[in-house]
Amino acid sequence: MALIALYVFAAFIVIFLAVFIKDFIKNRKSHYKYHKGEVIMAFVLLAPSVVLAFFLVLLPIITSLGFSFTNYTLGDPNNISLAGGDGFGNFRDLISEFQIKGDFYHAIKNTAIFVVFVVPIQIGLALGLALFVNNKRRGTTIFKVCFFAPVAVSLSVTAFFWREVLANRPDGIMNSILANFGIPNQDFLGTDKILGWMIAISAWQGCGYQMLIFLSALGNIRKDLYEAARVDGANSFQRFKTVTIPGLRPTMLFILITVFIGACRVLIQPMLLDQGVYPGSVTLSLYMYNQGQKYGNVGLSCAVALLMTIVIGSITFLQRQLLKEKKK
Amino acid sequence: MNKKVLLVPLAAMTLSLVGCGEPDVDYTDNTRLTMRVHVDEGSEEGNGYKEIITAFNRENNGKIRVDLEFVARSGGIYETQLDNDKRKNTLPDLFTFDAPKCAYYAKNGYLYDLSSSFSTTEQDNFVALNRYQSKLFGIPIQESSAGFYYNKDMFNRAGIDVSGITVDNPWTFSQFKEACAKLKALPGLKGAVDMRLDATADETATYLLYPFIYSCGGSFVDSTGLHALNYFNSANSKKGFQFLKDLLDNGYTGTNYGAQDFFTHQVGMYLSSGWTIPELDNHVKWGQYFPDRNSWGLLPYPKADDGTAVSCNGSWSYAIGNNPRTDKSNVVTLLKYITNAKSSKVITQHTGMIPANKEAQVGYANPGSAEDVLLQQLNKTSVQRPETVGYAQFSSAFGRAIKYLKDYGVDKSVDDAAQYLEKELSRLK
Repeated sequence: MALIALYVFAAFIVIFLAVFIKDFIKNRKSHYKYHKGEVIMAFVLLAPSVVLAFFLVLLPIITSLGFSFTNYTLGDPNNISLAGGDGFGNFRDLISEFQIKGDFYHAIKNTAIFVVFVVPIQIGLALGLALFVNNKRRGTTIFKVCFFAPVAVSLSVTAFFWREVLANRPDGIMNSILANFGIPNQDFLGTDKILGWMIAISAWQGCGYQMLIFLSALGNIRKDLYEAARVDGANSFQRFKTVTIPGLRPTMLFILITVFIGACRVLIQPMLLDQGVYPGSVTLSLYMYNQGQKYGNVGLSCAVALLMTIVIGSITFLQRQLLKEKKK
Repeated sequence: MNKKVLLVPLAAMTLSLVGCGEPDVDYTDNTRLTMRVHVDEGSEEGNGYKEIITAFNRENNGKIRVDLEFVARSGGIYETQLDNDKRKNTLPDLFTFDAPKCAYYAKNGYLYDLSSSFSTTEQDNFVALNRYQSKLFGIPIQESSAGFYYNKDMFNRAGIDVSGITVDNPWTFSQFKEACAKLKALPGLKGAVDMRLDATADETATYLLYPFIYSCGGSFVDSTGLHALNYFNSANSKKGFQFLKDLLDNGYTGTNYGAQDFFTHQVGMYLSSGWTIPELDNHVKWGQYFPDRNSWGLLPYPKADDGTAVSCNGSWSYAIGNNPRTDKSNVVTLLKYITNAKSSKVITQHTGMIPANKEAQVGYANPGSAEDVLLQQLNKTSVQRPETVGYAQFSSAFGRAIKYLKDYGVDKSVDDAAQYLEKELSRLK
């Protein structure tokens, strides 16, 4: 394992040196010449970041990619072979689990439902809040702080907080309030409701951050465009449709992609709200964590990671193609 | 900027990478041994280990010296470190492990086979040993058991007589339900008994509830530990789950009880382990509800009407690491020392748990006390949790069956859990 890592690192260093030499030669041919010492120093300064990026980013990705084709387990880490004989055993295993509607099926289903709902709700909320606080009126700063506050709190803390609020106990916060009105104990986090709460809590927590980005983008839209639209007799909805939305298009694309990727990786909410891995709340990231960390099936876990990367990457690429501004 | 200054972080980074190398462990020096435990150094249990090892080092001065390492079991750090050591072949000479994981560790080569190191007489001195495929791999540090803590005042008011119920003459599921019905009739109670059905996030529910399935003649996995279908969801196993479902359906228990409901007189009974005894004895906290030991009692597990009495056991155990050290004689000497009656007493004096060594159990509990009920139960009716390499998977499946019992009923929740376990176990073949 360490030997493979060294080979990969050696290859990486060779590429790094090749870039250095190419840059050096190019520099010699160019009109504006750097000093030799400056070029060397630039690469020396870059080297720590490059080495760290290799060990902390690139190597884990390459290793994970390799593990997805093996039967690597935490319990027997020195006995690695190709999964299923041909390297595709993990993928066949996942397909068979999907067919019998096992946890992998539920993980895909729950993640898909979560993404389909949380992305538009979170972006819609963020846009609505941004438009709300964008109007200069008394008290908007307080609203801005209130809307952004959940972003500053860690996901674990908010998940714990909501678990206590919604706890299926008479002393749960929500049930205590309801009891005052004579309403009996409610199982808010029951099997059929947990996904809905995951969506609501995630949208609530995440929208403040996107609100700030929208706010910044709204500030960049030229005011004269609104004036022109007003002169042409456009009402507020028409101004929103023809000026605001086109003006937010690049920002919208960025937010759409980041919220989509974040939603696909949802982990903390089901882990802490449902306190375990159950069909009603399991997501792909939680499934991956459970297989790799709890059951020690690292190869299988990496196979899920690879599939997730392919799916998320493909959909993100599609989003970029569909929503990017057409060049005139 | 002085270029030499830039060399400092570069040199520091290089040194830090060099520091990632393998630790220098000399397995040929049999006079220096390493031992790792799963608790914090400052904890009561940690103090117990320190006391034992200090005594061992003193008695073996000049011959064997043991270095004790503490890795608190928090967020899986202890297990991850064992996994890393296994990968690097640097396992400690002796370490502690959670007993139900014995099969997993033994199958994957973490543990040294102790079968020939402990004679039959020595083995008979323990209530339950950790075996895998008939070989001995672990010696328990201490033991645990559980039972039904009950509120004597409530039992009197409900007219429930439990004077004849003992470990040798346990109550039946029917008698248990009758008692629950009487308790439920008392005004102001949430329910009759806290069965800990909500504790499925960790091992608690599994540990406390598996005896009900065994009592009905049920099982969880086959003898290989790799098949669950028709075992986990056999007719007898479902009878055990049905008993729990009946308690739910009749409102005798619930999944929404708080951890303090028994202590604050919200329920009349509480299924819990021996850890609850010192909690109840904490008069500062519970004195107004349970002023003394006469205000509460402890009853053994009920048995199925046509079944056998079964109770839980198992805690953490010691094992010898399967590392490059070829001569294990000194490690075996250490293991025998830390599991002898004297050491067993030392550790349980610090933790309050039941000694694993039978010799150390003499004088542990006053006759008729709560500790005595647990001790008798442990020695007479306790059965270990299933022996399977996929214990973590089993525990998840069991928790899943319990969690969905109320909503989906016995058949669906247990069948689904069995299917899930079968799939997960198939990955271990």
